[in-house]
Amino acid sequence: MGTIYLDHAATTPLRPEVAAAMAPFLQGLVGNPSSVHRWGRAARSALEDARERTAALLRVRSDEIRFVRGGTESVNVAVLGRAAWLRERGDGEVVFLRSRLEHSAVRESMDAAGALGVRSETFEVDASGRADLPTARELSARGVEFVSCQWVNQETGMILPVPDLARECNAAGVPLHVDAVQAAGRIPLELDEHPIAMVSLSGHKLGGPRSTGILVLRKGTELRPLMFGGGQERGLRPGTEDVAGAVGIARALDLSLDTMEVESPRLADLRAWLEAGLVGAIPGTRVHAGGASRAPHILGLGIPDLPMDVLPGALDLEGIGASAGSACMSGSTEVSPTLRALYGDDASGYAPLRLSLGWTTSAEEVSEALRKIPPIVERIRVSAGVTS
Amino acid sequence: MRILVAMSGGVDSSVAAALLVQEGHEVVGATMKTFCYKESAGPSRTCCGLDGILDARRVADHLGIPHFVFDVEEEFARDVVDDFVAEYAQGRTPNPCVRCNANTKFRDLLRRGRALGCDRIATGHYARMRTAAAGESHLLRGVDREKDQAYFLWGLPTSLLPLLHFPLGGRSKPQVREQARTLGLATADKPESQEICFVPDGNYRGFLERKLPQLHPALQPGTVVLSDGRVVGDHSGYAGFTVGQRKGLGGGFDRPHFVLEIRPQTREVVVGPMEELYASEMWVEGVNWLTGTPPTPGGEVAVQIRHRAPGVRAAVLEVDEGVLLRFKEPQRAVSPGQSAAMFAGERLLGGGRIARALTPEASALSTPRHGAGHSGMIARDE
Repeated sequence: MGTIYLDHAATTPLRPEVAAAMAPFLQGLVGNPSSVHRWGRAARSALEDARERTAALLRVRSDEIRFVRGGTESVNVAVLGRAAWLRERGDGEVVFLRSRLEHSAVRESMDAAGALGVRSETFEVDASGRADLPTARELSARGVEFVSCQWVNQETGMILPVPDLARECNAAGVPLHVDAVQAAGRIPLELDEHPIAMVSLSGHKLGGPRSTGILVLRKGTELRPLMFGGGQERGLRPGTEDVAGAVGIARALDLSLDTMEVESPRLADLRAWLEAGLVGAIPGTRVHAGGASRAPHILGLGIPDLPMDVLPGALDLEGIGASAGSACMSGSTEVSPTLRALYGDDASGYAPLRLSLGWTTSAEEVSEALRKIPPIVERIRVSAGVTS
Repeated sequence: MRILVAMSGGVDSSVAAALLVQEGHEVVGATMKTFCYKESAGPSRTCCGLDGILDARRVADHLGIPHFVFDVEEEFARDVVDDFVAEYAQGRTPNPCVRCNANTKFRDLLRRGRALGCDRIATGHYARMRTAAAGESHLLRGVDREKDQAYFLWGLPTSLLPLLHFPLGGRSKPQVREQARTLGLATADKPESQEICFVPDGNYRGFLERKLPQLHPALQPGTVVLSDGRVVGDHSGYAGFTVGQRKGLGGGFDRPHFVLEIRPQTREVVVGPMEELYASEMWVEGVNWLTGTPPTPGGEVAVQIRHRAPGVRAAVLEVDEGVLLRFKEPQRAVSPGQSAAMFAGERLLGGGRIARALTPEASALSTPRHGAGHSGMIARDE
């Protein structure tokens, strides 16, 4: 059975160039970058090269790049680090604001920040991509001390109006954190043009290694470290540095940005083909955030008259890797917060299916998926009506 | 053949899955997520029976088969947990596993199995399926009488029978454990689970206190009386009692006393000595016939009134909405709410819920007086 992988938003294959770049740092003696001797210096040099390359690609300063162990960690360091810093300053209860669509890393770290005196508030975004953005004046009036917003939504591909939000936050003097995990390499970020205080990135979503991430921390934004011992990454992420990982994520970012001009339109075409084909073949199918501006690699569908949680399994048995959107470890398939925010109670009437494309996705795969998926959906629809 | 096997993470369903793989089928594992353990007391915030799900997933990985999680929490809460609470609130002793098998587990497995293109549904129950001469599917007791779980399966929809497969039906528990070890399954030495899945700490009273309104009669103090009405003590709510229990009645009796009946209207708990626990007839309601047709009055069945008890001979007196059965020998501890499963030899004919037990003298007058039962613990089928 030929298999088709359409879950690149979950993770995407390691690029061979990345593996090649990392290889020298995964074998033999690789020094500790903190050591004074030649082996240490060599490791330090590779690490700092990776940092400088990353900074240049993201158009920020190299001392604004913190290498961390993944996108989730990057988010936690930003959200909880800011909460801890504010608490240390003794402000009492503070308000953190986020969009309702955020990934669980942001939602749950903000909830956890409740223990540090943070009250979480949200702003709405609708299915057409319109966000109820707070103005600078409102931010000040509400006592908001921190704002977090994703640039691209992980379930629908929707692009959120981050530049507009950055302007308002900047005018109010409120630091903005942006989860750009799904945005990097798919849409231009141009961090030199937008006053964004913190940006979180993940290596493996770019074809880089797992457990690598970046927190871009712009000058002038203070965070309190959450971990201690050794002072690496300017105190924010202590522990012996992962040189191979830093080299890997830098190379992955390099390749992603380098190919974006060609790759994003290619994925957008494939996505449009997949979308039109499935919507045409499966009656009643809704394209999540279909009217909004979307990143090219994600297609979120809602399919009516289906049980909510069998579709990814049924597709898997026929060789197709896809997901229902976000699922917790135990496989629960409650309606996701994103879809709940976009569609309200109406979300529960549609089984979610997220197909996401990546650098290995070919036209043959899309064609094959278009041939295979509609009959599987039809079979499930028929079987759902068999017993009750 | 593509077979969907329900995997709880326990040793039985793990071996069932392994046997199917050995038989050469295309096996798909599934774990039903029935209940969110967040609700039950405990310091760890592990979500949704995560351990069982992860165990099942590890076994599936080991066997090289796909594994999926089916979320049936909503259906389970509605059809099983709510019923469990309602039954206790009315002074009866429910069989939640029977309820789950009949209403939730098997129906859902079938529905999702069909969606996944599966031809058969398998579970780790100790029961057997046999195709009779006329092509009819018969559900038989498991060969290991200690473990036999046919009792829990009387509520299955008849249309499901031809699709069922019980790989463990011909095996004994020791054989199954041995097989698990041979296969190197991580779950081989997992202890037998004793409690019903949604009350993992076994504290039914505490569970009912969380589920019922604070002022529900079942949680209010009442009196302990003898069957002649004499008050012999008090209690802190009849939800704390199970018919047939001896423990917790306090001392002061010249010989052992047992709970004979719970009267929700007056909040009385009736107690009495062993001999008052006997019943000669019982009404069984909410019946389901796996045979398609009910037995005819005048016939005889072997009826099992609790897990691990043998079937006892009983005459079928009446059959309509329910069934009236007369035991050949009076039976101890016939508990309202519990299941009565009816057999002809090895074959499960059907069953129902015990509505009330009739004592020897009362049944002669056809005026039911009290139910009686014995089960310190609610039997579960896994």
